Amino acid sequence: MSVLPLDAADDVTTEPGPPARRRVPDVLRRPGGLLAAGWLIFIVVASLTAPWWRPYGVAEQDLANRLALPSAEHWLGTDPLGRDLLSRIFTAGTEPLLSSAVTVLVAFGIGLPLALIAAERGPRVERVISRVTEVFLALPSTILLLAVIGVIGVRIFIIMAVLGVLISAAVYRVMLGVAQSVRTRLYVDAARVNGLGSLRVNVVHVLPSMATVIAVQAAQLYGIGLLIVAGLAFLGFGPAEPDPSWGFMIQDASSYVFNAPWLMVPTGLVLALTVIAANELADAIAGKAAGETAPVRRRRSPARTAPAEIPPADPAAVLEVRDLTIAVDDGPDLVTGVSFALRPGRVLGLVGESGCGKTMTARSLLGLLPDGVSVRGGAIHWRGQDLVGRTEKELSAVRGREIAMISQEPMVALDPMFSVAYQLTQPIRRFRGVGRGEARRIAAELLRNVGIVDAERVLKSYPHQLSGGMAQRVCIALALTGEPELLIADEPTTALDVTVQAEILTLLRALVRDTGLSVVIVSHDLGVVADICDDVAVMYAGTVVESGTAAAVLDGPRHPYTQALLAANPHVPDGVAVPARLASIPGTVPPPGSWPTGCRFASRCQFAQDQCRAPFPAEPAHGIGSVLCVRADELAGAHLSWDADPVGAAPTPATTPTAGASR
Amino acid sequence: MLPFLARRMAMAIGTVLAAVVISFLLVHATDTSPGAVRLGTNATPERIVAENEALGWNRPLPTQFFDYLGDLVRGDLGTSLIDGRSIAADLADRVPVTASIALFATLLSGVLGIVLGVAAAFRGGRVARLITTGSGVALSLPVFWVGILLVYVLALQLGWLPATGYVPFTVDPVGWFTSLLIPVIALTIGGAAIVARTANAGLRQALGQEHVRTLRAMGTPEWRIRYVHALRFASLPVVSVLGIQFIALFGGSVIIENLFALPGLGQAGQAAAASSDFPALVGVVVVATVVVVLINLLLDLVVAALDPKVRAS
Amino acid sequence: MTALADPTHEVHPGEQAPALRVRDLVVRYGTGRRARSTPPAVDGVSFDIAPGETLGLVGESGSGKSTIGKAVLGLQRPTAGTVEVAGQDVTAMSLKQRSRQVADLRVVFQDPYSSLNPARTIGQTLVEPLRLMGVTGAEALARARSGLESVGLPAEAVDRRPAQFSGGQRQRIAIARALVCDPKVVVLDEPVSALDLSTQAQVLNLLADLRDQRGLSFLFIAHDLGVVRFLSQRTVVLYRGQVMETGPAEQVAQRPRHPYTLALTAAAPVPRPAEQAARRAAREAAGFGTAGAASPSATGCPFVPRCPFSTDVCVDQRPPLRLLDGSLTACHHAERVPQP
Repeated sequence: MSVLPLDAADDVTTEPGPPARRRVPDVLRRPGGLLAAGWLIFIVVASLTAPWWRPYGVAEQDLANRLALPSAEHWLGTDPLGRDLLSRIFTAGTEPLLSSAVTVLVAFGIGLPLALIAAERGPRVERVISRVTEVFLALPSTILLLAVIGVIGVRIFIIMAVLGVLISAAVYRVMLGVAQSVRTRLYVDAARVNGLGSLRVNVVHVLPSMATVIAVQAAQLYGIGLLIVAGLAFLGFGPAEPDPSWGFMIQDASSYVFNAPWLMVPTGLVLALTVIAANELADAIAGKAAGETAPVRRRRSPARTAPAEIPPADPAAVLEVRDLTIAVDDGPDLVTGVSFALRPGRVLGLVGESGCGKTMTARSLLGLLPDGVSVRGGAIHWRGQDLVGRTEKELSAVRGREIAMISQEPMVALDPMFSVAYQLTQPIRRFRGVGRGEARRIAAELLRNVGIVDAERVLKSYPHQLSGGMAQRVCIALALTGEPELLIADEPTTALDVTVQAEILTLLRALVRDTGLSVVIVSHDLGVVADICDDVAVMYAGTVVESGTAAAVLDGPRHPYTQALLAANPHVPDGVAVPARLASIPGTVPPPGSWPTGCRFASRCQFAQDQCRAPFPAEPAHGIGSVLCVRADELAGAHLSWDADPVGAAPTPATTPTAGASR
Repeated sequence: MLPFLARRMAMAIGTVLAAVVISFLLVHATDTSPGAVRLGTNATPERIVAENEALGWNRPLPTQFFDYLGDLVRGDLGTSLIDGRSIAADLADRVPVTASIALFATLLSGVLGIVLGVAAAFRGGRVARLITTGSGVALSLPVFWVGILLVYVLALQLGWLPATGYVPFTVDPVGWFTSLLIPVIALTIGGAAIVARTANAGLRQALGQEHVRTLRAMGTPEWRIRYVHALRFASLPVVSVLGIQFIALFGGSVIIENLFALPGLGQAGQAAAASSDFPALVGVVVVATVVVVLINLLLDLVVAALDPKVRAS
Repeated sequence: MTALADPTHEVHPGEQAPALRVRDLVVRYGTGRRARSTPPAVDGVSFDIAPGETLGLVGESGSGKSTIGKAVLGLQRPTAGTVEVAGQDVTAMSLKQRSRQVADLRVVFQDPYSSLNPARTIGQTLVEPLRLMGVTGAEALARARSGLESVGLPAEAVDRRPAQFSGGQRQRIAIARALVCDPKVVVLDEPVSALDLSTQAQVLNLLADLRDQRGLSFLFIAHDLGVVRFLSQRTVVLYRGQVMETGPAEQVAQRPRHPYTLALTAAAPVPRPAEQAARRAAREAAGFGTAGAASPSATGCPFVPRCPFSTDVCVDQRPPLRLLDGSLTACHHAERVPQP
């Protein structure tokens, strides 16, 4: 009786689903879950009621019909004494079905409160409880059960309760992790600050978030319990003859396997189906459909619109994105009609709030869109070729060698299992065709180039030993291994402290100056744009609303959105007093799929008029750039710009809750 | 690293002590006495009392406990109440049987499970669905039932392998191997299913990691992403599941030994439980615990070797 | 480090007690030998907040600012020091006692996504603290509804769940939860740093309005000096658990006297390219050391490894807070820090 590891805790979400008012639980929407629940209900009801409906008594022998195959009289056949298998199987079901429930109840009755206590009381208490449970976990539970049987005899409910005690250690372990993670949620702290008692915090705020994991683990444990009860009966530690038990009926069948192989089929199937049902129920609760998600990148060839090669508008540009449209497959557009160009050695900022499509745009340049999202139209001209519609293989030749990328979270961008040396030398050897020793020398040199003084020590380090700023420097060194011409930096400093951000920006600027690297930097911070960018494209709701040189756009913004963003920034110029109230933009960014026609900013714009709600083209502005506002010239002529909120104004107009409109 | 090992060693010793205490208390909590067990049901109460006196059962509990511990350190587990044989000697013959079954089954589960998990995670689609569904069924099957099915097919119908019985390695190595094959296959079916699920989940999780996106952005070949980086990431859960497997098989081999008439540790435990042979029961618990504890220590070392975070702490 | 009362905000006899008073707060994490060998997360911090005043607590990650917030709220037990709310010492009180005796202290957290229980309606979330104060059902619901309106949300939102709201709206709900029971002091733990710029401005304006209307005291924890300067009257700058500088918010932001404050202000980029270029040049000329380059000595100033002004005395002696131009500065060489 192998004790299954209690698994599945890691990949179960503890986040209770949104609105819980569901008539049909999700579990039952899966055919497997429905079947499993149905079978479990059937077997429990049929077993408990067996004495009233069974066609024969459990000890009733029909010696003329011994070892019979299924027939009209005996639907499932008979055993060596001619007893009816159907009657015996369902009569035998009561004990394992109930005693396994005892195991589950005892295991959770002990393990769950201990886990809640340990999670609440902190490391000291947690360590004591965990040490004790570790000892329990290491005890051979089956053998100990045998010892218990040897001492108290075959009292199955007590024995299964003892099993529950032994398994409670495993339950504790799984539940502790979940409880600790739920406890880090801030609403738990908020409730505690409100003075909610310990018990009510647990009952109201912690336990409901653990419900899924508890249900999954309980269903799995129930299956384990069934196998153990049956296994004990198989060994003869079950109900005494003539009372039936699943385990002993299978033991009995094993002696007749040669002349009556049918005998082991019905009992075994009923037992197996019941355990399968328990496990399937667990899977269904956990929401792991068989092979549900295919992480393998199967890239359908993107639908390319008009493959006609248009000569680049700016002959000096290395990168030219034209009319780029990115969409969820069978879903809404995420980015529409985005165009920009980048000359060598320049830094372009894609700036905007969350949900404006800037990260999608950046990732599309390397063909690294998430699964289920693809380029729907437009072109990405890179050194004379169009990157849209390239195969994975063609793109891999570009990635790292010509275009490299650094991302927002340096701490997770490096593989935690490999040393920095390995992660740097591996691409160096691939890109530059050098040997191990030479690659290591180059790696150390790259690290020194990104401002790491003790390169040798860092090479020997693993990612978890690096600080955020150090990890981002290593990521930049990694991006430089293939000597790329373009670096895409997706919010490279957002996760870093402001002094570290300044250092990383200085480093990037030095790289651009020294190597002629071009950079596309994605940021939400206009200060970062002002610091490092030559050119800027301001994005709003999936499109570029204003572009031009950073100096022109930031010093003389023409689009109301850009003006509003600048006015909302609390960093006022030196010597100027902070305003009593900041300018703000009412409402929220409309989510993809609910963009209005015409100007997408119109519903939040102070200057919106009827003409803004019909489509209009972008107009040239700032020399090389553009502005997407039909009133831009008019506003500039009238010297109108975005106003700050009046002091003590009634809070912004009641913003209607927007379903799904989260960051 | 060294304090880590020292801590694990202390835990190991503590666990063995706990096993001795628990089984000792269990045996002494019962109203059945060893004298009654040894002399059978027809003995007079006076004779039973005398027998218990001779066995030292009436001495203070701590005395008995420390005597037992002292003997244990010297490798003496006492003698059986039923046949008077040395328990240590008996179990010494049995541990290799159980250990070889558990080891074979674990290794086979590992190889098969990783292959299936890799196929499910990387092929996706129908292959993944088939493997996940199949493993869900396989890990739910009662091992004794599977064992009988295998005997029916492989031994009785096809005649490829012996149905039951055990041939010692020293007598006939080939016979030894074939005699273990059906039990090992029976145990591997569920084991491989669990490993496959763990590997599949681990690999899928690995492919969703941010650092995999970094590797893709660097143009790293797909095979290297999968078989070097993702597999290494998934190796930790797989290794710990394999350890749990071995422990579960070692402790839980009683059924398979019973079914196939293999003279292993579990069989001794079953016999001792059925006959209330207390010293033998305690002996089996202690020996099983020692093995489990050793495997756990080994596991800690492997995890430390695999996980740079553990190594560094 | 010092029990020096804060002279930038002197409490005169007869004047009412500060809304919040923190004295010599020390917080060490963990237990055992390792905890004693690592420097404390908060190392002798003292400050007062007057009724109606907003005090900004600024610092980078690891500065101890959030730990101070937790200790003030009672979520983290201080190793030493005292916390007083409206003259009442609450340091040793349990959270339950605090809410019963001094229902004056509430909190708004950083992450609007995890600060609301997704399984409960907005109404349930807002009513919870009121019920604990003994407000009956119907009245509690009425107060929850008016609470939502006061933060600019429709009263009907009580029946909805957090998933139906955007980040900025959730943060308004969190503010409403903090304010329904009319607290005197609210701890704002990075309330806008998870929000987009335009939403951030909305929430900051809302906080400013509520403060002015209700005379609230805020302990405003943030990493962004610009944001702190907007909302606060005074600012405390923290580095590695110690107060580096404290003074009027305008002064600290515009004329920093401590090299670390200077490093912070110089590093924050402004969205005006020409001005930013000048600031960058000034910052690079100042020659600050790399963040996290080396760990400082236990006896001296924690900023020594990064400080361009440091001398031997800084390594040997921890500088006391001293008054300079209306700010308290913990720097031996504050006079050498360049002034604009």
